Amino acid sequence: MIWRDGTLLSPGEGGVYGERTRGGYRVWDPRRSKFSALAHLDPTFDLAPGTRVLYLGAANGTTVSHVADYAEVVYAVEFAPRPMQDLLAVARRRTNIIPILADAGRPGQYAHLLEPVDLLFQDVAQPNQAAIAVRNRPFLVSGGRLVLMLKVRSIDQSRPLDEVGNEAVGVLEEGGFAIGSVRSLAPHHRDHLAILGRRVG
Amino acid sequence: MTARYWWGEIDEDGECRPAPADDGEAVIRLASLESPMDGTIPGTWEAAVACGAVPDRGAYLARLHALSMRLAADRVAGALRGPDLELLQMVRTLDELDGVINLLTERAVEWYATQDPKFTRKFRAMPARRLVQVLSPRARGPLRAVLVQVEALGAARAELAREVTRAALRVMPNSSELVGGLVAARLMAAAGSLDALARLPASGLQVLGAKSALFSHIRAGTPPPKHGLIFQHRRVHTAPLAVRGRVARVLASRLAIAARIDRYRGELDPAFIEAANARVDGVLA
Repeated sequence: MIWRDGTLLSPGEGGVYGERTRGGYRVWDPRRSKFSALAHLDPTFDLAPGTRVLYLGAANGTTVSHVADYAEVVYAVEFAPRPMQDLLAVARRRTNIIPILADAGRPGQYAHLLEPVDLLFQDVAQPNQAAIAVRNRPFLVSGGRLVLMLKVRSIDQSRPLDEVGNEAVGVLEEGGFAIGSVRSLAPHHRDHLAILGRRVG
Repeated sequence: MTARYWWGEIDEDGECRPAPADDGEAVIRLASLESPMDGTIPGTWEAAVACGAVPDRGAYLARLHALSMRLAADRVAGALRGPDLELLQMVRTLDELDGVINLLTERAVEWYATQDPKFTRKFRAMPARRLVQVLSPRARGPLRAVLVQVEALGAARAELAREVTRAALRVMPNSSELVGGLVAARLMAAAGSLDALARLPASGLQVLGAKSALFSHIRAGTPPPKHGLIFQHRRVHTAPLAVRGRVARVLASRLAIAARIDRYRGELDPAFIEAANARVDGVLA
């Protein structure tokens, strides 16, 4: 990934959502994007050029546009039609984004559009977030990476982060992932845990 | 079993057929595809090339992009268009207007009291709309301008309410006939769409709009709500207390059928309406 003076950048055409640019690169703000926040907090985290990504919870395509600057192809799944309109506008200029209007919890709706991917990135506001990741495991190559942005408050309003996080990790390990690390995205995002793992088997 | 992918399909003998070369036909085929998720293995671009669907990886991604853009755009258009969705926006605007008008009226009355020390609480006994009409000629300066605007908002609200009723009669004729256009439209807006309304059980319809009462019943065991939005319908709120719950329940049961006729047939069924009204009025008699 491209860094200049502690700022994360991505190569690509600017003007997607009013982001700043620096030296011809787009600034990838950790406060607007959990992906960027994770890259800021975890120095070992990397997104290699040429990666194939399955992105669940693509929303307006803000983060997706940055991911697409690095990745070879991004399969962007979003369920809500309104944000999908914005995502389509982004995907018109970035032909390596494959927009998919479908429910990430029902992968059968879009399985026929996919190919095996190297990275499964998930950012969905659902109570069964870990189960959704498990359902999408078949799309990941063996040993492929899982990056799950756990929205803790979508699961439980009041219980402590660690407790909810441990439960999610349990579901993921049961479902065939080896979890490498769990870290909070504070101070960039409140009540979010980044769970990093790999597909086993 | 035949494995189906966006670029074509492979049957159990390993025989493969590419998808239609025409984008329009390919999108129609895609829209109907759904894979069972037990042990699904995603297709590969190499298989698509071997099948002769695309020449190389670049073409694979380019065609997939083109098709998925069209498919997603079609689905967005389908989800965001439709007469019931415009009605939904109208109902929500109406409720929003009510809130704004109330807030502004309340504030303007407080303000007016500082301009006119003789102003007494007796004015507050009159309906808010009348109150605004009384105050606006007496008020001074910017307050007067605000009051004039509130009056204009009130006129816009009345116009919108009439339009909601008209639109509801068109979009959901049977429900509107049963409970009136405004209440029918509000119920639809609370459900989210005509489709969602038609899928609700009668028991859900009965308490639609009584969310906090319903959940306090489920969580804390308080008495269950007898009615939600359908309380706004005349036959419910004028019913004697003893039978009000029964009226709400019977009305909701007919309304659930009416919503389904509206959703799946879309035209008025006078025989059904007559029978349903007789059933509801039978409870009241």
